[in-house]
Parts: sequence; C-alpha cells; structure tokens
Amino acid sequence: MRKGKKLLLRWESLLVLVIVLEFLIFGTLSPKFLNLKRLFSGLNQFIPVCIISLFVTYVMITGGIDIQAGSIVGLTSIMVGVLWNDAGLNIFVACIVALVAGALCGTLSGFFVAYTGVQPMVVTLGGSFLYSGLALAVTNLSAKEAYQGISDFPEAFRALSRTELFGAVPMQFVIFLALVVVSYVVLHRTNYGRKIFLCGVNPNAAEFCGINTRAVIMSTYTLSGLSASVAGILLTAYLGTAKADMGAGYTLPIVTAVVLGGTSNLGGSGGVIGSALAALAVGLLRIGLSLNGLSTQYLDIPVGILLVVTVSFRFAGTNPKLRKLFGRRKRQTVISKAG
Amino acid sequence: MLKKLLHSREITAFAFILFMFLGVGAINPAFLSPGNIWLCFNSSVVYTVVAIGIALVIITGEIDVSVGATLGMTATICGTMIRDGQPWEAAILTALLVGLLIGVVNGFGVTVLKIPSIIMTLGINGIVRGLIYVYTDGKWVENISFDFKNLSQGRLFGAITWFYLGALLLMVAVHLVLTRTKHGKYLAAVGDNIGGATLLGIPVDSTKFMAFVLCGLLAAAGGVLYVSRVGFVTPIAGNGYEMKVIAACVLGGISLSGGVGSVIGAGVGAAIMASISRVLVFVGLSSDYDNTITGILLIIIVVSDALIRRRAVEKARRERLAAKTLHAVASEKGATVDA
Repeated sequence: MRKGKKLLLRWESLLVLVIVLEFLIFGTLSPKFLNLKRLFSGLNQFIPVCIISLFVTYVMITGGIDIQAGSIVGLTSIMVGVLWNDAGLNIFVACIVALVAGALCGTLSGFFVAYTGVQPMVVTLGGSFLYSGLALAVTNLSAKEAYQGISDFPEAFRALSRTELFGAVPMQFVIFLALVVVSYVVLHRTNYGRKIFLCGVNPNAAEFCGINTRAVIMSTYTLSGLSASVAGILLTAYLGTAKADMGAGYTLPIVTAVVLGGTSNLGGSGGVIGSALAALAVGLLRIGLSLNGLSTQYLDIPVGILLVVTVSFRFAGTNPKLRKLFGRRKRQTVISKAG
Repeated sequence: MLKKLLHSREITAFAFILFMFLGVGAINPAFLSPGNIWLCFNSSVVYTVVAIGIALVIITGEIDVSVGATLGMTATICGTMIRDGQPWEAAILTALLVGLLIGVVNGFGVTVLKIPSIIMTLGINGIVRGLIYVYTDGKWVENISFDFKNLSQGRLFGAITWFYLGALLLMVAVHLVLTRTKHGKYLAAVGDNIGGATLLGIPVDSTKFMAFVLCGLLAAAGGVLYVSRVGFVTPIAGNGYEMKVIAACVLGGISLSGGVGSVIGAGVGAAIMASISRVLVFVGLSSDYDNTITGILLIIIVVSDALIRRRAVEKARRERLAAKTLHAVASEKGATVDA
C-alpha cells in the first residue's frame, strides 16, 4: 500500500497523468488526434528533441547545461549532405563521419567545461556560435545554394525514418524507445551512472572517492553531442533535406523537457524516464494544439507557460514568504522539524 | 591609478579591440579610415544598450535570455504605432512600458517564485516570441515614417550618432551608479556572495528584481533604437540577440557567476560583437564566418581568463605555504638554540 502511494506521488507519475489528460482532452476535441498514423507523423518532427533531451539530462545531472545541441543538429545534417553529395561518400559512411564529428564537438565543449572550470553556460554558448558557424562554412563547400539545402537522398537512407513497424509505428519512434532503455540502464543501473550523480551532488566528494570527475563530466557532453548528431541524421532522413539551420530553435524545448522531467538544473538529481515522458508530453501538447487550429508559430506560448508554471510549483515552496502566505501548517511542520 | 586601470578586466577587451582594428588595418588600410571606425561603433548602439541592461542582471549572478524576444516585441509595438501615425512619444512610451512589464514578470518569477533565472527567462522568451506572432499575425511592420528613421542618422561633428552618444552617456551614468552609490553597489555584492549580502542586511530580492526590471526597460530601449536604425520589423527581429549580448558581456570581462565586471566592459564587448562582421568583410572573408569567429573568440577569451586566474590563485597559495613553512623552520631553529 505504502509503496503504491509512493509510486503515485512520484514526479514521473504526474507526467503520465498529464499525458493521459492530453489524450482525453485532445481526443475529445478532435478525433484526428487518436488516429495513430496522424499522431506519429506529428510526433516525428519532435523525436529529435526527445532524443537529445535524454542525454542533456546527463549533463544537467552533473550540474551543467547544454545549449549547443541544436547547432550540432544542424552541423550533422549539413555534413551528411555535403559528404554524400559533394565528397561522393557512401551515405552511411557519411553518417558515421557526422556522428564522430558530433561526438567531437561535444567533447571539445566538455573538455573546456571539465578541465578549465569555465561555466558550462558560457562554453556551450560559445559552442553554439562555433558549430552553427561551422555548419554555414560547410554549406559553402557544397555546389548547391544554401537556401535550397541538399536533397534527393537514396531510399536506403530515407528508410531510416520512413520504415513503419506494424504498419504504424515509425522507425524513429522505435529508435527513441531503444535509446530510452539504453540511457536508463546506463544512468540508473551502472557504475558510470552513479558517478554522474555523485559528480552533480558533490564534485569534491566524488574526487576524494577516486572518481575522475573531470573525465566523467566531459563524457556527458560527448554523449549529448553524439545524441544531437543522431537526432540530426534522423531529422535529415525524415525531412529528406540537409540544411545548416536545422535545430536552431531546439534550446527551449530541450531544456523544457529536461526540467519538466524533474531534473534539477543545480545538478545531483533527476532521471531519464522523466525527461522522456516530459518530452512526449510537450510533443503531444504541440500536436494537439496544432490539430485544433493553433498555428505552429504560436506553439512556444503554451510550452513556455507549461515550463514556467510547473517549475514555479516546484520552486515556490523554497520561498519562506510565500509559505507564510499560503501554507501555514506546512510552515509549522518545518519549524518543528528544525526544532 | 594607472596600476588600477591596468588591472581592470575591461582593459583586456580594450586592448583586444585595438589590436583587432590595427591588425585588420595592416591587412586592409581602408579599414582604418575614421568614417569606418565610427561606423563600427555607431552600428553597435543596439547591442550596447541591451548589453548594459543584461550586464546588470549578470552582475547580480542571474541571467536573462528573454532580452531578444523583449527587443523584438517592443520593436514590433513601437514600429506598428509609428506606422499607424500615432505620436512618437506614445509609441516609445508604450514600448518602454511593455519592456518594463516583461522585466517585472521575470523579476517576479526569479525573486518571488524562486524559479532559476535561466529557466524562467527561457520560458518567457518562448511566450513573448509567440505573442509577437499573435500581435503581428506573422506580417512584417513596414512603411515607418522617414522622419523617425532619420533620427538614427543625426550625427555630432558628422561622426558619432546622437544615438551612440546617448548610449555612451547612459553607460557612464550606469557605471557611476554601480560604483558610487549604495544601491548600485548592492548589485555586485549580491552577485559576489549572496549569503554574505543577506547577512549584511542587503535586500537581496529587491536588488535582483530591480536588475531584471531595468534589463527589460533597456531591452525595450534597444527595440526602439532598432526600429529607427533598421526601418522595418520582422516577426523574428531580435532573434539570437540574447546570445550576442551575453557574449558581449563575457568578452567585456563580466563573469557569469556574478559580482565581477562593469557595464563599461559590456559596452566594449558590444562594440567588438558589432565590428566582427565588418572586420570579416575587410579581411576578404564572407560574413558567414561571423558566428564561427564569435564562438572561437568567446571560448579563447573565457578559457584563457579562467586559466590565468587559476594560476594567480595557485601562485598566491604557494607563496602563503612557503611563508608558513619558512616561519615554521625559523621558529624550530629558534627553539633548538634556546635549548
């Protein structure tokens, strides 16, 4: 019984409730929402954000932040295009090169964060300038005009996102689910995952335990860079064009998903399942609203409101003045505990 | 006095801009014509004003990534009102009020609801961006009266624009307030050591609140200047400005962890940011490399600054240790002599 109550009170359960509510509300508003094919085709656009948010969770658990992932998406996408179209590489070799490049970009920023002690925000800000700039530079290597993008990819590559399992579930979604499992096992079931948490809770203590904190912190940025390039490849395969500015507006949805998923931006707590559920909740919200006639440009408003409102619930309790106003009983228990 | 000046953090940025201009002048002497130099500075006026605002927030140890959206929103409102033939004063006042309001909302979220500032302002950024689309329906604001556009062309001695002169005066005024008045000094105190500031009886929350409000107000002022300088407003006006002005502050020696730096540095950083694209043109590179160079510069400056500071700390520690051990050895010798 108590275990059941505990499960109910978990943050993740609340997110499941939100998703169920979304299905109920949007399903009644427009029956199209319950059409699996339509739902998944809407979600396809959002899968990259879901994938990246899994691994940005790692970064945020170590107490960092990663605002460069969006520009790595663009860089990967254009690299695949240029390597295939202009350098004449096999498309899958091009993908592997792009994956390595994405991991290297992440590692570079991770190196500066871990080994020089500059704030992660500044380093990844520099990284986002640098990688989006590099993406533009790569575009200039191509014979095609930048605004057109590179398209006409071979079918085998497009199949990466076009294949549908059981006639409805797109491959991208399956890859996302697989990555959820992988990232869950790595973060919550391995030594490496425990080290990530410890680095976030107290880096000094972690160092005294014999953990190479710098290497662990750097590796989280490598993983988030790698996931960003996976997302970039999937997005390129799905849209069928390679462009340098893909993923430009991803910072808000990624950070929203991670923070909404219950990961503290101060580090030390959080989890992958929460991020995955939150990313899905945000994605479903966007689909539901756009099916009900809200133009896509407006969609940042509800996402922003969702972020601010949920987070304010979580943090407002830390303000003693607000507690005085609303929760007198709560305050007394705090005092008695302190006494 | 001179020594103090040489040790200030802005001097690095000053030296950098000087070397950059001289270096580019060596490659292409046309760059060093007075007209061009003035153009570099005059064109940085929007960055300068917004950077002063965000510097106030960064000095208190918080961050505001909603300035880009605030600038876009206020520019849209100001532009629309002027296009529709309303008096300038009303348009400017409305724009400033809207900026003030956004600042108040940000400040409320951060100081009362205790939401981490990056999350709060990221959410507000999304909301305001969406509201711009609601307000304009995705259309451009054009046909702004020539008289208003000509405001930005007025010059003193045919060199410095009135706008930039105003921005410089504002910068000096804010600098004096921050360094000479009690309430101004609170900002750095809060950013440097929030616990210490609380114990000293400094009103931490209201100081941060004021910083956010002023930041919103100055972003709105930037929006008004933007309308006059650019002459039309697109729905994505101001996109990415938040990153540019944060980069400007960091280049100008303001630390994102708070308490360190001055608005003069922010102004110099803004001039650097505005000059980079012109520099590229004079060196013969495409301005596509703007972002790449910005990213590289940001990372190099920040990382070298962190390394230099770390070495200084370690040197001081070694000196202290040496002094201690010398003292210990001396006293030991004294003890044996006594015996």
